[in-house]
Amino acid sequence: MKIFVLEDHSIPSANMYVFWKVGSRNEYPGITGLAHFFEHMMFNGARKYGPKQFDRFMESQGGSNNAYTTENMTVYTDWFPSSALESIFDLESDRIAHLQFDDAMIESERQVVSSERSTGLENNNWSFMEEALLGTAFTAHPYAFPVIGFQSDIDNWSKQDLQNFFRSYYAPNNAVVVIAGDVSLAKVQQLANRYFAPIPGREPPRKIHTVEPEQLGEKRFYLHKPSVSTPHLWIVYHTPATPSSDTYALQLLSSILSAGESSRLYHHLVDDLQIANEVSAYIPNSFDPYLLNINAVAANGVSAEKLEKEILSVLQQVVQHGVTERELQKVKNQALMGFYQAMETINSKAEFVGMYENYFGGVQKLFTAPDEINQVTVADIQRVAQQYLKKSNRTVGILGNWEDK
Amino acid sequence: MKKIFLSVFLLLSTQVFASEFHFPAYEKYQLPNGMTVYLLERHETPLINVKMVWKAGAVNDGKSFGLANFTADALFLGTKKYSKQELDEALEFYGASSSSSASSESIEASIQLNKKDWDQLMPLFKEVVMQPTFPKKEVAKRKAQLIDDLKQMKESPRSMIGREFASFIFAEHPYGNPVSGTEQSVAALSSAALKKFSEQYLQPGNAALIVAGDFVPREMKEKLAASFGEWKGSGKSVQAVSVSAPAFPVEARVLLVNKPDAHETTFMIGGKGITINDPHDVELGLANTILGARFTSWLNDALRVNSGLTYGARSRWNKYSTSGTFVISTFTKTKTSFPAIDLALKTYQRIWEQGIDAATLASAKAYAKGQFTPNYETSGQLADFMGGMFVYGYDESYVNDYFKRVDALSLSDANKLARKFFPKDALQFVVIGQATELREGLGKYGKVVEKGL
Repeated sequence: MKIFVLEDHSIPSANMYVFWKVGSRNEYPGITGLAHFFEHMMFNGARKYGPKQFDRFMESQGGSNNAYTTENMTVYTDWFPSSALESIFDLESDRIAHLQFDDAMIESERQVVSSERSTGLENNNWSFMEEALLGTAFTAHPYAFPVIGFQSDIDNWSKQDLQNFFRSYYAPNNAVVVIAGDVSLAKVQQLANRYFAPIPGREPPRKIHTVEPEQLGEKRFYLHKPSVSTPHLWIVYHTPATPSSDTYALQLLSSILSAGESSRLYHHLVDDLQIANEVSAYIPNSFDPYLLNINAVAANGVSAEKLEKEILSVLQQVVQHGVTERELQKVKNQALMGFYQAMETINSKAEFVGMYENYFGGVQKLFTAPDEINQVTVADIQRVAQQYLKKSNRTVGILGNWEDK
Repeated sequence: MKKIFLSVFLLLSTQVFASEFHFPAYEKYQLPNGMTVYLLERHETPLINVKMVWKAGAVNDGKSFGLANFTADALFLGTKKYSKQELDEALEFYGASSSSSASSESIEASIQLNKKDWDQLMPLFKEVVMQPTFPKKEVAKRKAQLIDDLKQMKESPRSMIGREFASFIFAEHPYGNPVSGTEQSVAALSSAALKKFSEQYLQPGNAALIVAGDFVPREMKEKLAASFGEWKGSGKSVQAVSVSAPAFPVEARVLLVNKPDAHETTFMIGGKGITINDPHDVELGLANTILGARFTSWLNDALRVNSGLTYGARSRWNKYSTSGTFVISTFTKTKTSFPAIDLALKTYQRIWEQGIDAATLASAKAYAKGQFTPNYETSGQLADFMGGMFVYGYDESYVNDYFKRVDALSLSDANKLARKFFPKDALQFVVIGQATELREGLGKYGKVVEKGL
């Protein structure tokens, strides 16, 4: 287990982020959603702190917590007054070393997760589309599964599945811990030696060896939802894992496309043509090759075809003519401001350390990132646009209110 | 994700720090034109937050719902010297973040910038707040977007429930005005209406400029005097916003909002609450932590942890200058609508039946204090708090006395206050879901009124 400590005494608070290198990418048919369900079960009882006691004890010490699961990782976050540091170590070490699976808690949590899935589908059109999007874009790699899982898997996974999952992935050597805030390195070392060091490591989990085959032609899907007021479009292109030599160029490209109202997509679609009300482009960090995403919502009366055509023409402009020096400088300036903003809170400091350690090959990359970003040229931007924004590499999803007859 | 309560930060702690956490020193003064200035110096990063706040909001909309919100939104759509495109390009080139918005009782425009870009960007921000022109073409474009947004909002019960509740409980009172308006009311707004509203309310005598971040106060004062000292505004005198306290319904009522394709029922139950400067705000906030504002709260424990009826259940005080509401909210699948509503009500009754016990109060105190200080960590958060000081009239004693007040609350006072101020009778229910499945059963909670989304 690797532990990072960032001392910051600006407020009398601290946090502990535990990054586990397990996510929906480690699942297979039958246990989709299990990484996320497991995240819930980590709060439902261990040896010293039984069912419901984790939250009760943490809150009584002034702490609060949350957790989230992505395709790649499961992350547990504790925020607490610095006086509660030892209690947090006690709680975390108890569940890492001695998680228990209470049958009644499993059944109750199954309902909670079903409600979480259902409320996402009910209130968020992108959640509604995600299952089809990933399932279309990926055919072999487990990125094809939605993080929340399929309902039939949520209904049917067993206690045995949970136990296997725990043994496979929740060994200390599969985790990175970041503690930021009003703590001292010496105290953290002392507590880590006492609480975390005795927990035995295990064989590293099985590598994900499945490689998504190269896509050789455009893929498309349509979803019908009667209450959708205007069409939603979700377009993705396969891109390399983080980090690759193209990561920063792709990130800057996605900012040029959609960061702010002067960005290429927003300006053209929303301001000039008024055919969309929102548009965004982003490229999530990932352990294996994943996706550059473009999401857009059509303005009233605008067809999905029209919106798609205009989005693609904006991309084609970049592919053919590249971007300007000023545009590139703009998104570099924005990236620098992003670094400063991240330094404003102990939470975003911890998140940044975790992100660079887990995805970029080491926390030292955090310090070289501004330089590497600055080195990206307009030629790099055009090159990655040409390489990845190809029709054959694309999946297009449409959500609309018309029946597909 | 474990919880939906992402934004529920409360208070921070420990005996060790109990007497040590104070709101940072700031300066407050007035320019001759009546504009108030707050300056708060911080040097952790080279960022500066600049925020203009006005005492006006959706309560001033009259029947033109959405007027304050649209006016705020349109500040960045063009000024005397700069077009929208020029503003966007300049602000975004330097990586500055900008925003403007309205609430029921406040309007604000703000930017966050790197201090080295001050001379490039402040002339723009100054025009945005002092000389917005509300260009017709841009206003028409934004209007179409706002109307589409309102349509789209109806797809999400979670986005609709709060505004449905406010207009149901406050009826004709201005606190019931939907801040973002309705499709019809926004359609009727024009550039001229926004301009008139801004001339009436967005004036120096009604404004505070808040600057928090990396600067030297002496130099900053000179810059602000040069930039904002000349601002005369429209010359119209601004009427202080004074909203009379609303009357509350005297009997229980139910508003059923039909969403025929819903798979869930989303509901909010509540009644009369407290004002933003209520002398018991900290103590009642603490009581609400126990009831519905943390993971182990009674409501979340009953509806989520023990029964699996929902992903999350919570409660909150919504506070305004002269009134307020208290609400419980959650959601569940259509089939379990009535068990969930009944369990929420039964859990709520604990305030009057079992009451708060000593161990739970002690835990809530630790939690409240433990989660408090991260609310005052960044210059942006501190600027937000100072904006509230100007609009609502509270001051930093809220922060400075917080731990003391939490520590001082006795068990008997906690129970007394809770029983007195949480609304017990004449509860109002707003339920969004499939009316065919809900209509019959809702009558037992009160008189049912039904509408579409």
